[in-house]
Amino acid sequence: MNRVYVTAIVKDVPAEEYSRYLPPMKARRMGKLQKRALVTALKAMEISGIGEPDAILNGTAMGCMENTVQMLNGLAAEGEAMNMPTCFMQSTHNTVASMMAIYTKNHGYNNTYSHRTVSFELALQDAFLRLRTGRLRTALVCANDELTELQLRNPTFFGQLEVLDRSEAWMLSVEPGGNPLYEIENVRVIHQKGAEDRAEITKKAL
Amino acid sequence: MRPKVVITGMGVVSALGIGAEANLSALLRGESGVCAVRYLPTEHREFPVGEVPMSGEELRQRLSLPPGIYSRTHLLGVLALREALEHSKLLQQNALALISGTTVGGMDVTEHYFPAPQPADRDIHDCGASTNEIADYFGCFEYTMTTSTACSSAMNALIMGKLLIESGERDIVVAGGSEALSLFHLNGFKSLMILDRERCRPFDQTRAGLNLGEGAAYLVLESETSALQRGAEILGVLSGGGNACDAHHQTASSEDGEGAYLAMTQAVSDAGVSPSDIGYVNAHGTGTPNNDASESAALRRVFGEKLPPVSSTKSYTGHTTSASGSIEAVFCLLAMREGFLPYQSEYQNFDEQCIVPVSGKECQRVSLHHVMCNAFGFGGNDSSIILSRYE
Repeated sequence: MNRVYVTAIVKDVPAEEYSRYLPPMKARRMGKLQKRALVTALKAMEISGIGEPDAILNGTAMGCMENTVQMLNGLAAEGEAMNMPTCFMQSTHNTVASMMAIYTKNHGYNNTYSHRTVSFELALQDAFLRLRTGRLRTALVCANDELTELQLRNPTFFGQLEVLDRSEAWMLSVEPGGNPLYEIENVRVIHQKGAEDRAEITKKAL
Repeated sequence: MRPKVVITGMGVVSALGIGAEANLSALLRGESGVCAVRYLPTEHREFPVGEVPMSGEELRQRLSLPPGIYSRTHLLGVLALREALEHSKLLQQNALALISGTTVGGMDVTEHYFPAPQPADRDIHDCGASTNEIADYFGCFEYTMTTSTACSSAMNALIMGKLLIESGERDIVVAGGSEALSLFHLNGFKSLMILDRERCRPFDQTRAGLNLGEGAAYLVLESETSALQRGAEILGVLSGGGNACDAHHQTASSEDGEGAYLAMTQAVSDAGVSPSDIGYVNAHGTGTPNNDASESAALRRVFGEKLPPVSSTKSYTGHTTSASGSIEAVFCLLAMREGFLPYQSEYQNFDEQCIVPVSGKECQRVSLHHVMCNAFGFGGNDSSIILSRYE
């Protein structure tokens, strides 16, 4: 069994820093979440020195809501005469993890979990088990969600689920590298009918 | 030695009917469930679809649920999951794990009420809520998880289930996916101009796009030790799984099918077999010009001159998007159990860019030991599994 280390954690890179990681020309056609997600991931790659992780995983409670709400508005306003190809193709939950792979030309394992408040922890569990059992050497695990105008106006529009407007990227590796932050010892996720799903990450500070 | 992951139950609903036996008999007869729209409230009647032949109200009554607001994804999922749990004699078992793939989730409900919020007193919209509703119909799940990678979601659920068992985390994992038709994605695919106005014709030179379908399917995955201990009937082995990213484009597949090639190669290697051991491939084969050419290129790279029989069952079910990976995995298990090759009864015109699928007017009988099943999603999310006979 391999040991699993967290070698970088990056949260919400501020917009002023974007151009350090992403040429403005390329950023131009990306949505707000896509930009923040990608830059946060690229910074985690830079800090960890792992530019080509064996896997890219993402956890998202609600998926790409900006594009989803735009599609819904289109349907409500124009009915089925609507025609929004770009919006639709970027509305699927795995848009973010795919875009990271396309941008960095990464052919590795790619997966997205969309399971309420434990989406990130499930992505982390997948990576942890694959690293521990030697299926992967490195993995980028992210959490990405956005809040649209509609949700800010009416936080329960899509339900009681609490959505955090955030981009977070963790780099995991079976090698501690020069500056490991934690060792992950276990990830546990629990479902109980009638209660919100819970997760426990057992990690040791290094 | 990692534990062998066997399959001890399956359940499926699709346009071909409710339950594995109804789906099997349609496949054997080469009958399609793709026809004019009946239940989805769409104006686009020009696009045939593969709808599960029951209204939401009929589904609700069949499941004895009280009157209320239900997503069709939820209802279809419960129906398929119930069959899988019954089949595996797990209805009385506690502490099970469920991994379900979906992208639409409760969108059919959301879009019905939009721009007003849906009025139910519980969460319906998000994918995780959809999975939990399916799980909580039974009340026996202590671990639930939702994969959402568009059209490869259910197959990625199977691959994750296999990992949970192989790494010793779980003895039994029920995995698959559920997806209902929605105006959201019908109009999305229409916007991408990849819907065919006729029944789809995968790998045919005249193919002009896909038909959307809906449905759900779950497989009960179990460690061999657990299955033997409880005396469960073993239907087959989930022997290999692979996933890779094409890293080419958000919706288009690369010309050489790199992602698909990598996923299939990994699945074969994970199963510990060679490409020449594969007796049948259930292709992703959507019927879009791009997918079928790209998948054909990848198949040729994996199998070289010795291409096994390949077919797509999407002209029967429509493209059941997130659920396709588990629905077609059930078809592969049925093909292996009954010893037949699913065939494309309507294939006619050779295309040099494509492989030639199994076709004809009647079913060929064969003995299958290892079969491959493919599911590819947006973002170049390409997955492949190998199912093997338990021997």
